[in-house]
Amino acid sequence: MIRTWWTNLRQRCQTCSRVTLGAGVLLATIVVGGVLLAAGAAGLAWTNTLEFCTGCHEMRDNVYAEFKGSIHDLNRSGVRAVCADCHVPREPVPMLWRKVKASLEVWGHLTGKINTKEKFDSHRYQLAKNVWTAMIRNDSHECRNCHKTDSMSSELQSEKARARHAKARAENVTCIMCHFGIAHREPDGPGPQELKIAK
Amino acid sequence: MKVTSLLLGICGVLAWSLAPAQSVDVSAAEALAKKSGCTKCHSVSAKKEGPSFKETAAKYKGKPDAEAALMKHLTTNPKIKVDGKEELHDSPKTKNEAEIRNLIQYILSR
Repeated sequence: MIRTWWTNLRQRCQTCSRVTLGAGVLLATIVVGGVLLAAGAAGLAWTNTLEFCTGCHEMRDNVYAEFKGSIHDLNRSGVRAVCADCHVPREPVPMLWRKVKASLEVWGHLTGKINTKEKFDSHRYQLAKNVWTAMIRNDSHECRNCHKTDSMSSELQSEKARARHAKARAENVTCIMCHFGIAHREPDGPGPQELKIAK
Repeated sequence: MKVTSLLLGICGVLAWSLAPAQSVDVSAAEALAKKSGCTKCHSVSAKKEGPSFKETAAKYKGKPDAEAALMKHLTTNPKIKVDGKEELHDSPKTKNEAEIRNLIQYILSR
């Protein structure tokens, strides 16, 4: 197929040398590929913005409304973590995989699975459990994107926090096991420590 | 006349005592709990270092001194044991007694 295409191309441009034609094709491929790649990356980056995440009322009226004013939204230092910071991996392949999974959630939007406060609350536990399970399995990877263990100074922590973190390290307990329900309302039911999910 | 006044008085006291407690401002209570760091050790229903609010509500269910006991616990920094070690329990980050009472009612109503 490529050979036929190449032959056709040579017949159309009989004055061009083989090298010139080859260079032209290579350049066109690089330009088109670059444009497609840039457009894809820009599109992907757009799906990680707060505006995109809160574009549907299910997120805006529930989880985003709860996030507002939380420590990850409003704090003394002004460092803010929005939806994607906690719920989307930064690495390209895991990010794409998360996007594929998220695209399935569009079906839930179209079928109105959580389109009222009551429906959202009835699914709240399962939704939270899905996030807790993912975070236990990836060792709270998204927390650790910002909260680096090596940069956590125990001297600057309260005595209680120091003791809890030392215990967590000794028992290989991951962030989400204790730090859940921070940005969103805690659902009614067993928490991450009671779910017995293997890492 | 005196009997009528007495009956009205008794009815008034009865109505006051049977009236439901002041409704809880859930959002304000949750915000105070988070601001004060309560949720670092206590969850609404899940397991953490400290008892969940549901466990506390069950412990004090039907006890007339529940609010007073929790008020003392929350405002006097009593010694508590965590993992066998003694430490001081923190107080809510507010000086407003009504806000603390709202938090207590929130806990007791879980």
